[in-house]
Amino acid sequence: MIPEIGYAMTAVALGLALYGSGAAAIGARWHRPALIQSSQHAALGVFVLILAAMILLVYAFLTFDFSVRYVAMNTNRGTPFYYRITALWGALEGSIILWSWMLSIYTLLVILRYRSRHPEFYPWVLSVMLGVLAFFLLVMTVPAPPFQRLTPIPPDGRGLNPLLEDTGMITHPVALYLGFTGFTVPFAFAMAALITGRTGDEWITVTRRWTIVAWYFLSLGLLIGGWWSYHVLGWGGYWAWDPVENAAFMPWLTGTAFLHSVMIQERRRILKLWNLTLIILTFGLTLFGTFLTRSGILSSVHSFTQGTIGAFFLGFIALILLGAFGLVAARGDRLKAQGELDSILSRESAFLLNNLMLVAAAFTVFFGTIFPLLSEAVRGVKVSVGAPFFNLVNIPIFLALIFLMGVGPLIAWRRASRENLRRNFLWPVGLGIVAAGAFRMLGVAHTLALLCFGLVVFVTATIVLDFYRATRARLRSGERLLPAMGGLLVRQNRRYGGFVVHLGILVIALGVLGSNAWSIQTETTLRRGEAFQIGRYHVRFDGLAASEESNHFKVTGTFTVANDGRVLAVMQPAKKFYPQEQTPIAYVDYLMGLREDLYLVLGDFARDGSQATIKVQVNRLVTLIWLGGLVLTLGAGLAILPDRRKA
Amino acid sequence: MTHRRKFLLGGGVILAALVYMIYAGVSQSVVYFVTPSELRAQPVAGKAYRLGGMVEPGSLKWEPRSLDLAFTLSDGKASVRVRHKGTPPDLFAEGRGAVVEGTWTPDGYFKASLIMAKHSEEYKAPHGDESQAGYKELLKTLKGQSEAPKLSY
Amino acid sequence: MPARPAGEGPADVDSDAFERAPTPSARVPGPRNPKPSSEGSWRWTKWAIPLSVVPLLVLLAYGFRTDPRAIPSPLVGKPAAPFSIALFDGGRLSLDDLKGKVVVLNFWASWCVPACYDEAPVLERGWRTYKDRDVVVVGVDIQDTEEAARKFIRQFALSFPNGPDPTGKISVDYGVYGVPETFFIDRAGRIRKKHVGAVTEAVFTGEVERLLKEGS
Repeated sequence: MIPEIGYAMTAVALGLALYGSGAAAIGARWHRPALIQSSQHAALGVFVLILAAMILLVYAFLTFDFSVRYVAMNTNRGTPFYYRITALWGALEGSIILWSWMLSIYTLLVILRYRSRHPEFYPWVLSVMLGVLAFFLLVMTVPAPPFQRLTPIPPDGRGLNPLLEDTGMITHPVALYLGFTGFTVPFAFAMAALITGRTGDEWITVTRRWTIVAWYFLSLGLLIGGWWSYHVLGWGGYWAWDPVENAAFMPWLTGTAFLHSVMIQERRRILKLWNLTLIILTFGLTLFGTFLTRSGILSSVHSFTQGTIGAFFLGFIALILLGAFGLVAARGDRLKAQGELDSILSRESAFLLNNLMLVAAAFTVFFGTIFPLLSEAVRGVKVSVGAPFFNLVNIPIFLALIFLMGVGPLIAWRRASRENLRRNFLWPVGLGIVAAGAFRMLGVAHTLALLCFGLVVFVTATIVLDFYRATRARLRSGERLLPAMGGLLVRQNRRYGGFVVHLGILVIALGVLGSNAWSIQTETTLRRGEAFQIGRYHVRFDGLAASEESNHFKVTGTFTVANDGRVLAVMQPAKKFYPQEQTPIAYVDYLMGLREDLYLVLGDFARDGSQATIKVQVNRLVTLIWLGGLVLTLGAGLAILPDRRKA
Repeated sequence: MTHRRKFLLGGGVILAALVYMIYAGVSQSVVYFVTPSELRAQPVAGKAYRLGGMVEPGSLKWEPRSLDLAFTLSDGKASVRVRHKGTPPDLFAEGRGAVVEGTWTPDGYFKASLIMAKHSEEYKAPHGDESQAGYKELLKTLKGQSEAPKLSY
Repeated sequence: MPARPAGEGPADVDSDAFERAPTPSARVPGPRNPKPSSEGSWRWTKWAIPLSVVPLLVLLAYGFRTDPRAIPSPLVGKPAAPFSIALFDGGRLSLDDLKGKVVVLNFWASWCVPACYDEAPVLERGWRTYKDRDVVVVGVDIQDTEEAARKFIRQFALSFPNGPDPTGKISVDYGVYGVPETFFIDRAGRIRKKHVGAVTEAVFTGEVERLLKEGS
């Protein structure tokens, strides 16, 4: 019965969402508060139904109810307990449920917060959000239903994709989808602004914190994805410019641009058209990501199903882009700027430049991702561009972005005076140059590395200088040191939250720099007892062992790692053989350190255990990327605290 | 209006730089997808190719100590000798499909930098000699050589 | 916060004096407003933004036509490798016996969830529809236990010839990567199409009709 009950729930939820979306729109257009009320109830109903459907599906997973097709496909009797719960979002159908559920949570939060505020916007926001929700429920009802009966009931299921049996894969989709769905809120407000013609700053002021939340979760999702890739996939990297990664990265880039450009509109009343374009693009790209990965139009290591779902997503993307940009065009006369850029040496223009760079980066990623498609359509030649393309094009853009990260927050609005530039940038620029020079002396020859390092020092110096000056001003007014610093952070949380996020990005940039510039790797075959040297590590192969786990079979190698005769660790990389998989899954073992990680992947081995081939890497500074994620979290947390200045 | 012109000029320069970077990036990193017969028809040394075909039975040689891997890829019409340094991927075997990325060398073989065994994510596969029975045997030979594996971190 | 006119709905916005949305007559010229005087030119160009999306959407739609993951089998166009199989119902069947007929050779397993479960009824229906028109569906069960395979056949009431491939020789000869895979063999005994994944009604009918039309 579970498939039928679940399917009925999603179908009813679809009806409710459609009704709610329509009711809110009609209520807004013809001033019918009762209809808006009723739409709110519909939204609550949708939330409850999706939640119930999710619980039902988890129940089916826990009880091995293989009459549910999705359960049979993504679990088997050996799947461990926790992974049976998270198998819920192990494949397309379940991730759509998760996605809709999160969207319904955001919708409820919007209702709770705004039902008696912003009366012109609110019903339209509700209508747009329920409309988007209706689309996802439509996907759950027609092309990708999670509740579908499988007859006859198979004795056992196919099993979860073993790569997903990992904490990274439990949390990565959750964070990513919280980010994706989060951008629906500013998008819905933007649409409400366009529909009502109130294209001023109200929608931007209201959604500022929502945007930060969405941006933060998206960033976290990307970082966790990188971490998963690093410690599960066993190729030693965290980012491969794979279409699936790019799909999540593009909305991050445009979302970051949006986050910055709204500040200029708030302050200077320019870039209205630009901001609307950015949020529409960002929202469109969150859908595009799912389209790309699920439609099968591009090959990727991650993509799963093909089917009609791609057509549904493409149709919805077309509807969103044409509808939203059509509205923009129709409201074109209200989007004129009420100010202008005064000088190239101004904060506005630094932010504008930052925006251009971010959008350019998004465009290059987009271009590289769909290039195979473009080439086949235009020239009929099957080609692709890989990581070298993305690196080549994006490295200069990202270096420019880091530079602007230092300039933007400190340069004066409108027109920077010579005095302003000298006061804010003389020391940081000097420090950056000195730092780059010092590293040159220490033997770093790589120009890009020196440039990147110099820029990171420069930006850090601007932030420290700013904080130092602000603290000093407070000390002069009689405050003590720690209360002064804490007060600054809390009182000016937007500014300093942003700075902390910037610091997090700088730490990540150092990690990316280090891992690309200084990592070393090798592959070698060792006989039992034999050892070899990599970096400062002496790695000895001690033998192989085999074991049987609940749902797979595992061959583990034992390696003793020593440095100067002192044993550092016994490492046990393994290969896991899942009966339902064609290839064994690597189980990476690594020795994590702040400066470098020693990373071992077991390759081929002799069946009698006498010899084994291993891939060994010394990955430098990778840990900084994860630490940067922590700093980012602190900063984002600070930035979304309620604004105290105006209160 | 000179002001406006300055911004337009700046924008134009940035746009031109972007277009140039994309153009340069594509021409430097484009990889052509070919079959062995297409490659045989007009091989260009130094150009990056992605070559797909079937590993010809009897052609595979792997030397674990030196990590030298050599095999022949064929599409039924033409065949190409491929050399690589490294471990073959797990699903790689004679009689199976494989995709390699690399360049054609003037010496008449394909120098692969990356080897991918073809497989599908969608459906379960039969296990050649790595079947359940094969695992059991492996389990027996490897048991007792060392302790059961423990996590070391 | 801008002063909001109370009680006025969106229907009235055109007449309201929303502080920051100047009416066309009161527009402030600025750098993003190149031709404030020529209303017509803006009207015309403003639709450029939504229209610029269209080529992109067309390109993406084009993507559906291609299948980047298609595994081109080198066997397509080649004579099908001969095989002889012991059927579950007793007796043997070899490819030579089927000369002059269109053969649909399907590799499956009882543990293959859900693709084999999806296609089993399709194959059975196809077999019943076409068996009198010189079409034979042959099932090859690989990597399976006999008990589970027989149960599978019973469950779906499969009536076309089916047998195991205990040594895996047939699946190696046909370069089978996984299950299900289906080969369409023409009357002359050549492999004409390899289908990966569950066979749908459309694929089955389409291929079989095509091969039947060719004659021999």
